[in-house]
Amino acid sequence: MLAFDPFYFAQQLLNGLTIGSTYALIAIGYTMVYGIIGMINFAHGEIYMIGMYSAFVAITGMAAFGIEFLPVIFVGALLFAMLISSTVGWAVERVAYRPLRGGNRLIPLISAIGMSIFLQNYVRLFQGSSDVAIPHLLSGGYTFGAADGFQTTLSYMQILIFVTTIVSMGALTLFIAKSRMGRACRAVAEDLKMANLLGIDTNRVISFTFVIGAALAAVAGVLLGMYYGVTNPYIGFIAGLKAFTAAVLGGIGSLPGAMLGGIILGITEAMTSAYFATEYKDVVAFGLLVLILLFRPTGILGKPEVEKI
Amino acid sequence: MKKTFARTLLSVSTSVMLMGATAITHADTIQIAIAGPVTGPVAQYGDMQVIGAKMAVEQINKAGGVNGDTLEAVIMDDACDPKQAVAVANKVVNEGISFVVGHLCSSSTQPASDVYEDEGILMITPASTSPAITERGYKMIFRTIGLDSDQGPTAAKYIASKVKPKKVAVLHDKQQYGEGIASSVKKTLEENGINVVMFEGITAGDKDFSAIIAKMKQAGVDFVYYGGYHPELGLILRQSRQKGFNAQFMGPEGVGNKDLSAIAGEASEGLLVTLPPAFDLRPENKSLVEAFKAKGEDPSGAFVMTSYAAVKVMADAIKATGTTDTEKLQQYIHTHSFNTPMGDISFKENGDLKGFEFDIYTWHADGSKTPVQK
Repeated sequence: MLAFDPFYFAQQLLNGLTIGSTYALIAIGYTMVYGIIGMINFAHGEIYMIGMYSAFVAITGMAAFGIEFLPVIFVGALLFAMLISSTVGWAVERVAYRPLRGGNRLIPLISAIGMSIFLQNYVRLFQGSSDVAIPHLLSGGYTFGAADGFQTTLSYMQILIFVTTIVSMGALTLFIAKSRMGRACRAVAEDLKMANLLGIDTNRVISFTFVIGAALAAVAGVLLGMYYGVTNPYIGFIAGLKAFTAAVLGGIGSLPGAMLGGIILGITEAMTSAYFATEYKDVVAFGLLVLILLFRPTGILGKPEVEKI
Repeated sequence: MKKTFARTLLSVSTSVMLMGATAITHADTIQIAIAGPVTGPVAQYGDMQVIGAKMAVEQINKAGGVNGDTLEAVIMDDACDPKQAVAVANKVVNEGISFVVGHLCSSSTQPASDVYEDEGILMITPASTSPAITERGYKMIFRTIGLDSDQGPTAAKYIASKVKPKKVAVLHDKQQYGEGIASSVKKTLEENGINVVMFEGITAGDKDFSAIIAKMKQAGVDFVYYGGYHPELGLILRQSRQKGFNAQFMGPEGVGNKDLSAIAGEASEGLLVTLPPAFDLRPENKSLVEAFKAKGEDPSGAFVMTSYAAVKVMADAIKATGTTDTEKLQQYIHTHSFNTPMGDISFKENGDLKGFEFDIYTWHADGSKTPVQK
C-alpha cells in the first residue's frame, strides 16, 4: 500500500516505547509481589489510578499556589503520588493479604479483587465519575524528517517518560542487587520459610514489596497523567490488565522480564496499529502472549518454577 | 379436595391483595422510571435526561397532574452497561412501574427494551439513536430522538457538499452506537464520491491514540469523522494537536458535551458536531428555559428537551385516554400528535419520530456551540 517510510516507522517505534515503558513500570508491581509471595495483586491497577489522581491533586494544588516551575511541579507531584500510592499499597497488603496468608491461595486473590472494586468505587464517589483534565505542562519537542514528508516528533514529554522510567528501573535494580533490604527480598523470593528461619522479618519484606510496587505505579501514574492530561476512576482496569500481560509475557517474577515484556507489548500494539489495523491491536498483542506462553510457559525471561512445599 | 379449595382461596385472596396494592399505588401517583447512566463515564448524558424528565414531572404536577394523579420520577442507574440495564428493567417490572423514560446508551436500550416489550411496559428513549432498536416491530418502544442512520447521512452530506476533503478517515469505538454511525457516514461519503482512506475501530477506554494519529498523519488525512463518545474523541483531539496532526474533526451528538472541551481544551475549537436541534433556542420554550436556569440547570444539553418531551407524551396520552393501560396508550401514541418543547411530534409505526432532523454545529473551546448552515 505505502512505501516503507523510516520516519513513520521511527514515530511508531517511539509511540510504542512510550506506552511500553509505562506498562513496564506498572508491571514491576505485579512481578515483585508474585516473585515474593507467588500471588497476583489484582488491586495494583487501582493503585496506579490513585497515583494518577494524586498527581492531579498535587499539580492543581501547586498551580493554585502559583508554582509554575516545571521541575518543582514534577518532583512535587511525583513525591505526593508516591506517598499516597505507597500508603494505599501498604494498606492493601495489610487488609487483603496479611490476614489471609497461609490459607488457600485463592482466598487472597478474591480479596484483592474486592479491594480493587472498593478502591475504584471509593475514588468514583469522592472524585466523581467523569473525566478530570489538567492542562498541558510540558509541550513541544524535536522534529525529524523532511518538511514535505512524514515528520517524526519526539516530544519533551516522551523524553521525560523514557528518562524517568530508565532511572526508576535502574534505581530499583541497584537497590535489589546491593542493599540489605534488597538482599532480604531476594532471600524471601527464593524461600520464604527458610528466610523466616534465618531471622528475616518476612512480613516487613512483603510490606516493602507492595510499597515499592505501588510507588512505581505512582511514577507511571504521574507520567501518564502529564502525558494524557486526563484521568477517570476506571483507567486502572485496562492499564492493570495490560501491565499484568506484560509481566506474564516477560516472565512473571523477573524484574528485567517485566521491563522487556512492557516494551514488547507497547511496540507490538503500536506496530499493529501502524501497519495493520487498530482494531486488531489487542488481538495481536494477546495472540503474541499465547504464542510465547506455548513455547515458553514461564515467559521470556522467567525461570521454570520449582514447586515450593 | 379440601386442600385444593384452600389453595384456590389462598391464591384468590393473594391476587385480590396484590390487585388492591396496585390499585392503591396507582390511585394517587403514577411512577415513571428514568433509566440511564447516573454513574459511569457517560453520566453527564444521564444528568441531561434526569433534569429534563424531572422538570416535566414537576411542571405537569404543578399544573394539576394527570387526571388528578401526580407523576413520580424514579431514577434508576444502568451505568451505560447492558447487563445492568437488564437488571434495571427487571427492577422496573418488580416494582410494578409501567412507564420508562430511557435508556440512554443504545447498547443498554436494546436488551432492556426486550423486557419492557414482553411485560407491556411503555418505554420512550430520549437518547438512543441506534436504528436496531426500532427494527424489531415492537409496539411499546418509542423514541423522541433521531436515528444514527439519519445522523450519519446528515453529517456525510455536509462533509461532501461543504467541506470537500481529499482524504477522510472514519474512526469508531467498536460499540453499537459508534460503529453504526461511522458505517453510515462512510457509506454516504463513498456514495458522494469522497475518498475514505481509513475505517478503523479504537477501544473505548483507551488513553493512548498516538499510533492511529501517526497513521492518519502518514496517510495525509485531512478530515476525520469519529463515531463514539467524548472521552475518547477528547483525547484524540488533544493528542493530535500535540503531534502536529491538524485535520478537521467531526463527531455525532455523543461527543457534543462540555466535558469534551475540558479534556481537549483548545484542541476542541472548531470541531463539527451533529446534534439534535437546539430546542432550548426555540422562542416557544423561553419560559421553560428560564425555569431550568432558575434551578441552576443547563437546558442546552442534547437530551434535556427530548427527555422532557418523552414524559409529556406519556402524560398527555394518559390524560387523553383516562387510563394507565399501556396497550391502549401505545395505540393512542401511535396515532396522535403531541405538543412538546420539541414542537409538535408524532410517531411512525415502528416508534420512531416522524420528520426528525439533526443540525450541524461548530464546537468551541469554552464548551459552547454555534449552528452551521447546512
